[in-house]
Formats: sequence, structure tokens, C-alpha cells
Amino acid sequence: MKLTKKHAVVPMLLALAVAKAYGQDAASDPNEALQQLLSKALTISISARVLPQDAQTDTPIWNAESTRLTIPGRSIRVRLDGEHVRIYLVCTPYIQENGEVLLLAQGQVWFSEPTDNESRYSGTYYAIPMSFGTPVFFYPLGVSDDEAQQKDFFNIELEIKIVPYESRQ
Amino acid sequence: MCPDREIISAYFDGEIAPPWVRTIADHITGCERCRSFYEELESTRQRLRAEPVMNVREPMERVRRGILSGARPPLRPLPAWRRRVEVPLPLALLAATALIALGLGLAVAVSRNGFGYIRVTRAPAGGAEYQFAVPYDKVESLLKSVGGAAANSEDVMTLPKNVKLIPVGVPRMGTEAEYPRKKR
Repeated sequence: MKLTKKHAVVPMLLALAVAKAYGQDAASDPNEALQQLLSKALTISISARVLPQDAQTDTPIWNAESTRLTIPGRSIRVRLDGEHVRIYLVCTPYIQENGEVLLLAQGQVWFSEPTDNESRYSGTYYAIPMSFGTPVFFYPLGVSDDEAQQKDFFNIELEIKIVPYESRQ
Repeated sequence: MCPDREIISAYFDGEIAPPWVRTIADHITGCERCRSFYEELESTRQRLRAEPVMNVREPMERVRRGILSGARPPLRPLPAWRRRVEVPLPLALLAATALIALGLGLAVAVSRNGFGYIRVTRAPAGGAEYQFAVPYDKVESLLKSVGGAAANSEDVMTLPKNVKLIPVGVPRMGTEAEYPRKKR
């Protein structure tokens, strides 16, 4: 059996490829990669409140909070279920080159009148530059500009805050 | 009738039996055509005799010595990529095994890249690019382990009952400056 020098090139290339693959592994140590990942991780807090429409008081009659961890570019999703309303909020944070946050938020509202069989749908999409810790508010049922608020009705407010994950440690 | 030229050539070489020699000689004497052919043969013989004798002894001896010594004539050297290397069979098998092992090692290395590795590449602009060389569910597990909840799952909040929630406009979103507390 004869092996030509040309045939010897193949194992050399394979050996180089293996060496390169292992070299990359060494460069991307999982612990280091995890630390780098966590250094970029973000905590998104969403506080939901049901407030009286008259706005005479800040005291909500109901509230709930969801805190989620994510990384820039990955969305988190919150759903609010009510008797006649269902609200979706999808938040995707991005870090801009200046270090500030750009929040892409998508809101969907499904609402049906108690006496009506039909449902109404509203969808919104916002891109809001924000700083860490600065709240952004989402009103899925709208905001009334009418000074004469109805006293028996309530509104929903979602407060979104984004902080770096490491700052919470 | 003239004899065949081959017979005349044989007569010229002295290869004709005696009973026919006289007959052919008489014919050649009396026949212009056959006499001309005979004289042509005689002329050729004279020219060959006038030529110096070729010395073939020396080249023959050189060839004989070469054959007996087993020496091969010099060959033009082949380029490196066309030369052959003789490898013993065990060594060839060992090389083949090593080749397979390298291939398997490469496959393992590639598959290892596909499990449990997260690469963070820093972009020139200062940003970072995350490359999850892991199955999606493992990313979820990672984020769940540090965040307490699956990253892609949906948090559900149940609104209170017996509360009149009526839309008063289109959904809105903004910063605190856009929606001060008194306007909410």
C-alpha cells in the first residue's frame, strides 16, 4: 500500500480543525461566558395596578408584580386576565450604544362588553428610549383626558422598570 | 523466359544447385535485362565492400555490462507531489486509525460546541453579540436558574372581579413625564 504526500494533507487539515475547535472552547470558558452574559442581563419589573378613574387617590384597589430576567434582545411576556378583558404586554429591551435602554413594547388588548358577544381588539407598538430605573407606563385601556371622571370605573396601569441584573445582587 | 529475380539473386550468392548454374549463367549472358539486374547486384556488393566496417563491438559490450550490473538508465526526477512513499501495511493501518480518531475528535468537538456553550462576542461599537451554541431549552434553563422563571414563558396576572374596567381610549404608553400622576 502506498500513501502519497497528497493524501497526508487530509489528516493535517483535520488535525488543524480539531485544534481550532478546541482552541475556541478554551477561549470561551463557560464560566467566563456566563459572567459576561449576566453582566448584560436585565431585570424587568412590571407592576400592574387597578386605579380608580377619578384619580383622586394614588391608592390602587389591586396590584400585582412580575419580575423577570432577560438579556437584551429577548422578550418577556405578561398577560392580565379579567372577566371581560385580556391584556398582553411583550417587552423587548435593547441596549443602545450610549448605554441607555431602548424598550420595544407591544401591547394587545381584547375587550368584550358584558352584554355584547363581540370582542374588540387594540394593538400598539412602542419604541421608547429610557434610562435604567426610570419607569415607563402602559395604559392598555387608554387614558381619559376628561376631567369629569366616572367614579365607578377603574383603569389599569402597568409600570415597567428595567435595571441591570447585577445591580440587584 | 527470364528466371525470377530471386533466382538470379540466389545465383549471385552461389546458392543455386550445380545443374542450374550453367543454364542461368548462359541466360544472363544472353539476356540484356537479367544481365543488367545481375550487374546491379554486383555494383551493390562493391559499394558495401568499399564502406568501412562499423565497429559494433564496443556498443554491444556496453549494453551487456549494463544488463549484467542491473543498473537502470537515469530517470528524470519527479516533482515532490508526484513522488510515492512506500509505507508498510501496519503503519498504514495505524495512520488510518489515527485519521478516524481525528475525525471522531472533530465530531465530538463540534458537538461539544453545540451543548452548554455561550459565546459573547464584543462588537467594535461596544455592544455585545450573544451566540447561544446551546439548544433553546438550555437557554431557558439558564435564565430560569438565574431568574427564577422560564425566560420565554408568560406571566399571568388575574385581574380582580367585580371591577368595572372600561376602555376610555386607545392603549397608550410613555414615560412618567408624559403621564404625570394627576393625569392617570
